[in-house]
Amino acid sequence: MISFKPSAQQEMVKGLLHQFSATVLRPITLEVDRTKTFPDDLLLRMGQMRGAMPPGGGAASEEYTGVERKEPQKGPSSSNRFTMVASEELAWGDASLLLSLPGPGLGGPPVRFMGTPEQRERFFAPFKTGGLHWGAYGLTEPGAGSDVSAIKTSCRRDGDGWILNGRKCFITNGARADWVVIFATLDRSLGRAGHRAFVVEKGTPGFACGKIEEKMGLRASETAELVLEDCRVPHANLLGGDELYQRNEGFMGAMKTFDFSRPTVGIMAVGIARAAFETAREFVREHYLLARPLPRYALIAALLADAERKIDAARLMCWRAAWLADEGLPNAKEASMAKAYAAKIAMQVCRDAVELLGAHGLEQSLLVEKWYRDIKVFDIFEGTAQIQRVVISKRILREPPSF
Amino acid sequence: MISFSLSDEQEMVRETARKFAVEELRPRLRQLEKGGIPDELRRRFHELGVSLIDVPEAAGGMGLGATTAALVHEELAFGDPGAAVALWGPHLATAAVVELGSPEQVARLLAPFAAPDGALRRGAVAWSETGKDLPFAGMATRARRDGEAWILDGRKAFVIHAGDADLTIVFAQIGDGWDGVGAFAVTGRERMRAGAASRWLGLEPVRAGELILDGVRVDEADRLACDVARLRRFFARAWITTAARQVGLARAAYETALAYTQDRVAFGKPVAHFQAVSFDLAEMHMEVESARWMVWRAAAELDAAAPSAVESAAKALAHANQAAWRVADDAVQLHGGAGYIKDFPVEKWLRDTKTLALIGGSDALAQLVVAGIGFGLPESIVQPVVT
Repeated sequence: MISFKPSAQQEMVKGLLHQFSATVLRPITLEVDRTKTFPDDLLLRMGQMRGAMPPGGGAASEEYTGVERKEPQKGPSSSNRFTMVASEELAWGDASLLLSLPGPGLGGPPVRFMGTPEQRERFFAPFKTGGLHWGAYGLTEPGAGSDVSAIKTSCRRDGDGWILNGRKCFITNGARADWVVIFATLDRSLGRAGHRAFVVEKGTPGFACGKIEEKMGLRASETAELVLEDCRVPHANLLGGDELYQRNEGFMGAMKTFDFSRPTVGIMAVGIARAAFETAREFVREHYLLARPLPRYALIAALLADAERKIDAARLMCWRAAWLADEGLPNAKEASMAKAYAAKIAMQVCRDAVELLGAHGLEQSLLVEKWYRDIKVFDIFEGTAQIQRVVISKRILREPPSF
Repeated sequence: MISFSLSDEQEMVRETARKFAVEELRPRLRQLEKGGIPDELRRRFHELGVSLIDVPEAAGGMGLGATTAALVHEELAFGDPGAAVALWGPHLATAAVVELGSPEQVARLLAPFAAPDGALRRGAVAWSETGKDLPFAGMATRARRDGEAWILDGRKAFVIHAGDADLTIVFAQIGDGWDGVGAFAVTGRERMRAGAASRWLGLEPVRAGELILDGVRVDEADRLACDVARLRRFFARAWITTAARQVGLARAAYETALAYTQDRVAFGKPVAHFQAVSFDLAEMHMEVESARWMVWRAAAELDAAAPSAVESAAKALAHANQAAWRVADDAVQLHGGAGYIKDFPVEKWLRDTKTLALIGGSDALAQLVVAGIGFGLPESIVQPVVT
């Protein structure tokens, strides 16, 4: 039945996370943005909150709770919708802290979808202790962003292992991660068929962190450069083993991650936009211009009404993509649309919020300037606005037109 | 639970409406534009039963609510927006009676539409008026008491089915302000005069015009309840209807542009393969989808009697109006010169979308409702906002 009301359980967690965001994250959001450091115990606490989410109720929760299924999720679930509800609230509090949460992060989906049962057991094990452990996803390179198939990081078989060489950049939690899923190529002339995914563990000789990037926004989230120099990785860390690649599914594994990550990134943008919108609404409610409350000006009222409506529309786009994933239906186009649409409207809303506050909009303590900086990257990471439109248009030109 | 799943019944109803739209409406789009809707088409449409979708079961309808109705409106407008409005015999009289009427009134007033011979029956809602300096609630039409009855005097404008309607819901001031608005069910075609017919930018198959009330006598039994809460739900129903039609129109324009740009070759390849074009198509697709979900959400909330339903309906209307205009405009643009001539349907949809938006509650009104609710609405429909 068509319904847009979260379940009672989802409402409960939403309320809990909202409270946490309002009382714990918001008060420190500016400080962590400046210092780029945050107390470990806070992250631990956040990790435990994620762990407290009901089992089966989170795409990622199985890795945190230790309640891992024997087989990757098949058939209907509600986990992606659950992630939508939870991530929006945490991003409303502080998106960079959400990205810094302990857990396998973007490294989770490729291990889950491509890994053998043994690999899933081994690589998810550290997260079951609830300590400070991270996973990461290493695809982007200085010369290969949107054009994923152009990666240069090389891998070659060497006895019972592999030798990896190359550089990865813009890797979220890359320096602190216990392991990183590194995508490499056997032979660039093979294109996508030559791609292999490895789990490279921290401390592996030849695997080092280059610089940590200084960014415009999301500053409390660690963005690392990773360097592989004759880095030897055991064959047991080739995700999915030889068999997976005989079926030519290496590249698909890299792409499948996006079906889950893009709606999540989209809903994070919704959370930030909502934060900016609510702040602007409260601000104009309390301020007067020419002896008249600001909301009594149609221009102001229209800006706010527009913002709220677009936020709603973006949320529904994200929910749609997540619902399709939960139903086990293909959602690559919808995931791209959710991300592209949410990032676009969130940019507009954050810009309008800054403007609605006038000169106050520049003031750091009111946070809208921070959200204005934070939101820009949502147009860029997890696939730029442009590559999303490439993905969407390729699919609509290929698929039957009716929907 | 958040879900986009249609029930089997909804899938079936949607399929029926889609088939009718594709087979009966789209091929005759220009014919209907010139000649209006022939009675035989009305009869065929009535046989489908979809126009009774949101007529309560007590009155012989299907009672499937606003969500299922939205699916049908979208499909019919996908076929032809003008026919979608014109074919819907009861028009918004159903919505008004459902929201403002008592169970007895619902059964009595709406049953004729559900009857086997109801194909040619029409309903109308007379709300709008023209003129400057109208009283705050916006109406100069008055209702005065005369014993056990009411006498209506005034002039209504832009009334769809004016003069052709078997049931007209007339809004008139009993007292002052919003609390003084009354709603009256006038049955029969002879008791009111049709004034000048409206000639519109688009939606040609729709017949509309002025409605003149010269001392029309209405029994107390035909007065509908008209408090602000009910009025809001009536508007929500009307807005969702328009928004759903805009989604269907946008989908038609998008799909037509998609097909055309894949067929049209320039510089050695289909123009759809240029990113300047394909990115536009991607944007259009996103506009259509986002508008559709806004409509579904509002309709589902209205069916569930959620307190947020009115606000969601206003948002859906504003969103769908804007999305549909943008998509229709892009569709004309992507056709190039062909988009401007009548050999292709897109120019019609660009005219239709603006017409739909202005007869079905303007974006500006919807925006004010959203803003008004956001700032804490007093017991009025729209908080006065200074321009």
